[in-house]
Amino acid sequence: MNLLKRSKKFRLTQEARDAWILLTPLLLLTVGFLVYPVFSNFYYSLTRWKGLGDPVFIGLENYTRMFQDERFYSSLKNMGILVLYIPLGVGLPLLIANTLRNGLKGWKMYRAMLYLPNILGPVILGTIFSVMLSQVGPITEILRRIGFEKANEFYLLGKSVSAIHTLSFIFVVLMRVGFGCIYFLAAMSTIDQNLYDAARIDGTNKFQDFIHVTIPGIKFSIQFFSVLAFIEVFARMYGIIFTLTGGGPGYATNTLEFAVYKLSFSSYQKGYASAWAVVLFFFCAIIALIQIRLIMKEEMS
Amino acid sequence: MNTRHTTIQHRYRRNRLTSTMFHILTYVLLTLFALCIVYPIYFAVISSLKTTAAYSADKVGLPTNPTLGNFTNVLMRMNMLTFLFNTLFLVGVSMVLYFLVCTAAGFAFGKLRFKGRLGIFTFVLFIQIFPQMVIAGQVYQLINKLHLLNTYAGLILIWVAYFAPFGTYIMTTYYSTVPKSLVEAARIDGAGVFQQLTRIMIPIAKPMIGTLGIIGALAMWHELPFSMLVLQRQNLRTLTLGIALMQGEFGLPTPVLTAAILVTSGVPLILYIIFQNYITMGSTAGSVKG
Repeated sequence: MNLLKRSKKFRLTQEARDAWILLTPLLLLTVGFLVYPVFSNFYYSLTRWKGLGDPVFIGLENYTRMFQDERFYSSLKNMGILVLYIPLGVGLPLLIANTLRNGLKGWKMYRAMLYLPNILGPVILGTIFSVMLSQVGPITEILRRIGFEKANEFYLLGKSVSAIHTLSFIFVVLMRVGFGCIYFLAAMSTIDQNLYDAARIDGTNKFQDFIHVTIPGIKFSIQFFSVLAFIEVFARMYGIIFTLTGGGPGYATNTLEFAVYKLSFSSYQKGYASAWAVVLFFFCAIIALIQIRLIMKEEMS
Repeated sequence: MNTRHTTIQHRYRRNRLTSTMFHILTYVLLTLFALCIVYPIYFAVISSLKTTAAYSADKVGLPTNPTLGNFTNVLMRMNMLTFLFNTLFLVGVSMVLYFLVCTAAGFAFGKLRFKGRLGIFTFVLFIQIFPQMVIAGQVYQLINKLHLLNTYAGLILIWVAYFAPFGTYIMTTYYSTVPKSLVEAARIDGAGVFQQLTRIMIPIAKPMIGTLGIIGALAMWHELPFSMLVLQRQNLRTLTLGIALMQGEFGLPTPVLTAAILVTSGVPLILYIIFQNYITMGSTAGSVKG
């Protein structure tokens, strides 16, 4: 009896020991390259530092400066515009997937094409669209050929307002629509077909089916996909901004993320850039907590 | 009775009409989106086959005298052949480490019980979304201090560290669906943890190699900021880094740039064409349950 108890206890600790051994590589890497940098970033945000020599402690000066910096507010505004496109970036694939649910001729061909942005990646897409939309690029040329003499004034990336909207459309809608359709289709295929049959007996139409069966049935997926879109906007835009607009014209397509890069590696104000990075960190922390809550809630049920 | 019958018929007809309208709308939307994506690629292909002079003369037409000159130029003179080998080497080595790290950690989270499991798992979910820019400045300092600047080892470590949390999450959801009995059997044999790794965890993980490979390798292939910080010598660059910096450095003519675009995405595109079904279906791993 005693022996059995002891061996069971031993087995548990053995299992825990194994687990810790297995987790060691991940924890070492992430603590070293992700967690430590985040914490040291907090410290550098309180210093004046060019990246060389010793940082000078200046308290909250970087923060007061940041809150008076117009670029800070314009980058927040730009992110606000990007976020406004998220309902479109979620809603369109959702509606398309709903029509596809019962099959649509040629879907496989469309799927193959719409998924391409995920294969090409943000840097290539940014590069290719900067060529396409350039003032002397093919779009201008085509417009001119079909009769728009002043086509080169129609320069989407050259004006502040159209630049941020173009970037938003490409990044939030165009790049994600294919993945969104595939994602929502996969989610919809897990809904019990009986629910639709039951609704049909009640005499519902397709629209009511969509509202009362489909949407509740894939609620988690819709929420999760929306959170992913927020993550993309706050934390994954560097590559496309770098190649498509460079943050410009002026600061018209600058986001917090891109601003951190510019301040840190173009103007070498690393202390000041760290203060911006801290703000970005808190935004992302909120998104991460929402995502974790979603996942945990789903796991529990 | 009769009126009821006609209302049903009426409703049925109306339903059919709206559903046809939705079908047409869906086709229109899908076609527009597809055009926005495919036309730029088509444009890249035709432009890359033109000389700079031919491109200036006709920007949108088919090439009259197709030439591969831009490709040899990009691959040789602009060093992209080297970048291609750099990328293949970096992604290859990183992927092996990434796979091992994610498998081991995913197994621990998905199949083993230990104190603090939930806490550490939450931590992994939390750091998984960190933007690269929050850490880039400090990572640069760290790499500099470790004398790993301009080394592949430096970039490989960062890549694995940065991408492993999401891979771990995917492996955790996968392992938690594997029956416990499979694991228990090996435990009773008294196999050590490394034997378990090679005999059980990795063989069980086989169906996930493809999914994890797609997610990890694409993320690394597309990665920009870390490569930009670590690899500052021109001959060490990856393809993505190469093309991102090319425009600014050379102010390239469009035919050359489009050739560079095709060289950069060539390998992923070819693999995509071959494994298209598999890749599109596998892409939802870790985000759709059921």
